[in-house]
Amino acid sequence: MLNIALPKGRLGDKVYDLLAGIGYDCSEIYDDNRKLIVTNEKSGVCYLLVKPSDVAIYIEHGAADIGIVGKDILEESRPDIYELLDLKLGKCNMCVAAPESYIEDLDRPLRVATKFTNIAKNYYISLNREIEIIKLNGSIEIAPLLGLSDVIVDIVETGTTLRENHLKVFEKIMPISARLVANKSSYKFKNAEILNLVTKLEKELADK
Amino acid sequence: MAQIPDFLAKEDELGIRLPLLFESRGYKKYRMSKFEEYSFYSDNRKFLTDDGVIAFNNADGRLMALKPDITLSIVKNAKLSEKLTRLYYNESVFRISHAAKDFREIKQCGVEVLGDIDSYITSEVIILAANSLKMIDPNYSISLSHNDIVLSLIDECSISLADRKRLAGCIGSKNTHDFRKICSECGIADETADKITSLFTIDLPVDEAIEKIEAVVDTEKTVNALNEIKALRNAICNCDIFDKIHIDLSVTQHIDYYNGIVFRGYVEKAPAAVLSGGRYDPLARKIRENIGAIGFAVYLDNLNLYYRKHREFDTDILIINRDESNTDKLIDAANGFCNEGMSVCVEREKPDSYRCRKTYIFENGKLTEEEKC
Repeated sequence: MLNIALPKGRLGDKVYDLLAGIGYDCSEIYDDNRKLIVTNEKSGVCYLLVKPSDVAIYIEHGAADIGIVGKDILEESRPDIYELLDLKLGKCNMCVAAPESYIEDLDRPLRVATKFTNIAKNYYISLNREIEIIKLNGSIEIAPLLGLSDVIVDIVETGTTLRENHLKVFEKIMPISARLVANKSSYKFKNAEILNLVTKLEKELADK
Repeated sequence: MAQIPDFLAKEDELGIRLPLLFESRGYKKYRMSKFEEYSFYSDNRKFLTDDGVIAFNNADGRLMALKPDITLSIVKNAKLSEKLTRLYYNESVFRISHAAKDFREIKQCGVEVLGDIDSYITSEVIILAANSLKMIDPNYSISLSHNDIVLSLIDECSISLADRKRLAGCIGSKNTHDFRKICSECGIADETADKITSLFTIDLPVDEAIEKIEAVVDTEKTVNALNEIKALRNAICNCDIFDKIHIDLSVTQHIDYYNGIVFRGYVEKAPAAVLSGGRYDPLARKIRENIGAIGFAVYLDNLNLYYRKHREFDTDILIINRDESNTDKLIDAANGFCNEGMSVCVEREKPDSYRCRKTYIFENGKLTEEEKC
């Protein structure tokens, strides 16, 4: 039995469809209930429906064998797990954005609002730029509009939210997409099951 | 081997069994102080994990550290015999966990061999590592690698330290997609990227892995490394632990400190490696002249969590004492049960939720069995 941590929400739905298509279906997942653990003995899978940002924690601690998690979460928390496939789903970019009229003042530390504090720190260390991090948990776009920060570091998918708030992308830090990850110990002891799933997924992705 | 009581928690049980195992192969116990001068660790900071060192000033103002690592300390302080020194330890290390923002005490039990390391010693250490894992769980696995195969190929590419670190991160997480992308950004030829990828994705039983590695390696360093793996294979192929070993070339250790065979050990119920080790001549030679070194550590913390022991009873016998005057007879009665190999507890009243095989009432100098708990 493989325990698979799926992120709740749109990405999780997409990934579930992908997995169901290659034989890891679990119809109970569509039932109108609030179950967070659904199992299909026949397919040999147990899906754990968890918050996207928690998937890597479940995997690292062995509560799930494999899971699907965004590259943003992996870069931010650097869990000790295997990253086996880029599913090329949920594509977006980690970006530096600021008000359209923004001009950087190089004479003082840059104030950066973000929930991805480690990504932001590492990016600006690579540029040798002194920054002050303002950790926010949501509605990051508001921060520069209210003068709380100069720029934001956040995920940009279509750019609509930025445009509606008169912000624009100044730098792309890295592309983001969904990744298939595995617990290191599970990879040793459920190797055949995991590799079987990886091979089927690779084929499915190549055919698409 | 001596009988270990069933009621001991896994960590305590291993704290007895592992030293017995190491002693049986001629290893001598190394006991160390919990403190060391901080400068010693700051000089060798890269050898330590990312966790911080707990530092403090001692009475004469010197900056000291609670030991964050045992290997460094043994290499520095152990009195070495002329040819070979076999040591084992059962100690705690202390670190600052940045993730948990707290101090951590981590119990470790392991071995270090210092001196002239030959193929026998390497095999002996791998076998000891396997037998240590077997004591935790018969369902174990050793992921064995050679530090000079994948990392030496990366060293041949002229790339910055930062890019090297990014590539090493991809190797450790078996991440081929980002590895190829970074190679492309760094101008590393596709052919080289493919070659390295085909190596670090190898995670196979020893013989299958050797065949695959042989088809790829061609530089002097990588061929020599493969020959070391082959020599180890030939030495241990008839041992019962052989089937538990996989060659997993994604396992690497810091190249400034480790060379040769490196390995990690996994047991089925623990989500991360519970054993880590390898050959560390470069580290040893930073501290002592012209010696080789190999060793491993078993991380005992959290094993109680993954290997919980269910205790059916708190004690075999519970005696409820309702007699003020015959204490000598009560002691005799309790000793009698102990002498028969049973555990016994004497209480004034039966504690809440107490579980025992039998309950006795001690009254007027006599024991009377009560109905079953």
